Amino acid sequence: MIKPLEIQKLRKVYPTFTLDNISFSLEPGKITGFIGRNGAGKSTTLNALFNFVNPDAGRVLFWGEDVNTKECEIKQKVGFVSSGVNYYPTKKLKKITTITKMFYHNWDEDAYNRYMHLFKLDENKTPKQLSVGMKIKYALVLALSHKAELLILDEPTSGLDPVSREELLDIFINLSEEGKTILFSTHITSDLEKCADQIVYIKNGQIKADKSIKVFVEEYKLVSFDKEEMSEVQKDLLIGAKKAKTGMTALVSSKRMNELSKSWAVSEATLDDIMIHMEVE
Amino acid sequence: MFKLLKKEVSLSMHPTVPIMMCLVFMVLIPNYPYLLICFYTILATFFTCLVGRENNDIIYTMMLPIAKADVVKGRIIFTVCQQMLQMILLVPFIFLSAYLNPIGNQVGTDANIALIGIAFLTYGISNLVFYTVYYKNVGKVGFAFLCTSTVVTIIIIVDIIMSHAWPLYRDVIDCPGTQNITYQLIVLVIGVIGYMILTVMTYKRSVGLFIKQDL
Repeated sequence: MIKPLEIQKLRKVYPTFTLDNISFSLEPGKITGFIGRNGAGKSTTLNALFNFVNPDAGRVLFWGEDVNTKECEIKQKVGFVSSGVNYYPTKKLKKITTITKMFYHNWDEDAYNRYMHLFKLDENKTPKQLSVGMKIKYALVLALSHKAELLILDEPTSGLDPVSREELLDIFINLSEEGKTILFSTHITSDLEKCADQIVYIKNGQIKADKSIKVFVEEYKLVSFDKEEMSEVQKDLLIGAKKAKTGMTALVSSKRMNELSKSWAVSEATLDDIMIHMEVE
Repeated sequence: MFKLLKKEVSLSMHPTVPIMMCLVFMVLIPNYPYLLICFYTILATFFTCLVGRENNDIIYTMMLPIAKADVVKGRIIFTVCQQMLQMILLVPFIFLSAYLNPIGNQVGTDANIALIGIAFLTYGISNLVFYTVYYKNVGKVGFAFLCTSTVVTIIIIVDIIMSHAWPLYRDVIDCPGTQNITYQLIVLVIGVIGYMILTVMTYKRSVGLFIKQDL
């Protein structure tokens, strides 16, 4: 099956940061979370997809087509939401929509009206008058009204209250069920546990994991122990050992659990635990 | 192209653009450097780019299903339309000025057909300077305007000096109304051709710079 998005060995060098050999792909109809701490390279990667940032090397393929040769055709099928609607804060949504829809061959006015009604958006308001969540929803409405098959969203949930986040994640799940492919970056891992099928984890400009969220979480266990109990042998097993409220915590590969001291408390690792300890490493 | 132009007018254009275009009536002011009309229009272009930066105009345009180069194309086409429309608006005021002020202008070129050619050349040069600096770094729009206003000021000063110091210019071209119309038309043709060449150069150079730029 043709992949909606395939990134091959993407590289971008800045004086103080390097995005190094980024490669991953998306499965059709799945939700993929792109996680990493602030400054890990998530936005740079997403911005490189449509040459907002020019990569030094690598290729970006959408449905097998190179973005540099079929940019316009690809953009017709993709909804790219970069941190909501931060453009033209004093223009009415009606005016922004009128201009936006001129550029799309597949614009569906009924779908636009339906989503505007569903998300309780008023066309006579300006982006300045919208909350962060409503801005994201308006950006989604524009993407969905031109029948985007792939939605790429840069940190759509950051700045949202828990209820709005939950609401947005429900929308993602519904869209995924309709066959849309979604890639969204976030540093809020609980968002991914609720809706993502796949995760791509980036650290310091390098991809550290690209797999199903279930497999990724099952690869690690969280252990708690006292510092004095940590022998040199066991130190090698630990990933990202750090101080906790009482004693220490670390990740251990599920495959090496039998090498661990029996007295240590072991629990299932959450995505949050994995990311926090991996970042310490 | 029409869509891009409509987007520029509806979302990007600064309100001063039509106002500055209407300043063609200033050729009715006796003894005034009429090329300043170009300067005001360039100021409106600067305001459009400045407000565009604050409104994330380029990010919005880049998200539309167009090529990165089309972002530049839209803005330059809009600028050219604005400048050409202004030159068309200037024509009746030139004849009105010749009627109201038959003595002519003592500060720079008179309001005549040659002035349109000189204005076109001024726009061609200012577009080249402004857009090649602007599209090198869209965040530094103020620097692009500083460079352009310096160049335009020099052009205005040269125009004033020529209208007094260069006999051919002073006696043949700098004359009110339709006097020496053949020479005036030659200046107009040179101005229009120069404008076309400079605009193509502006577009090609700006696209090359903008495509390489990280936003």
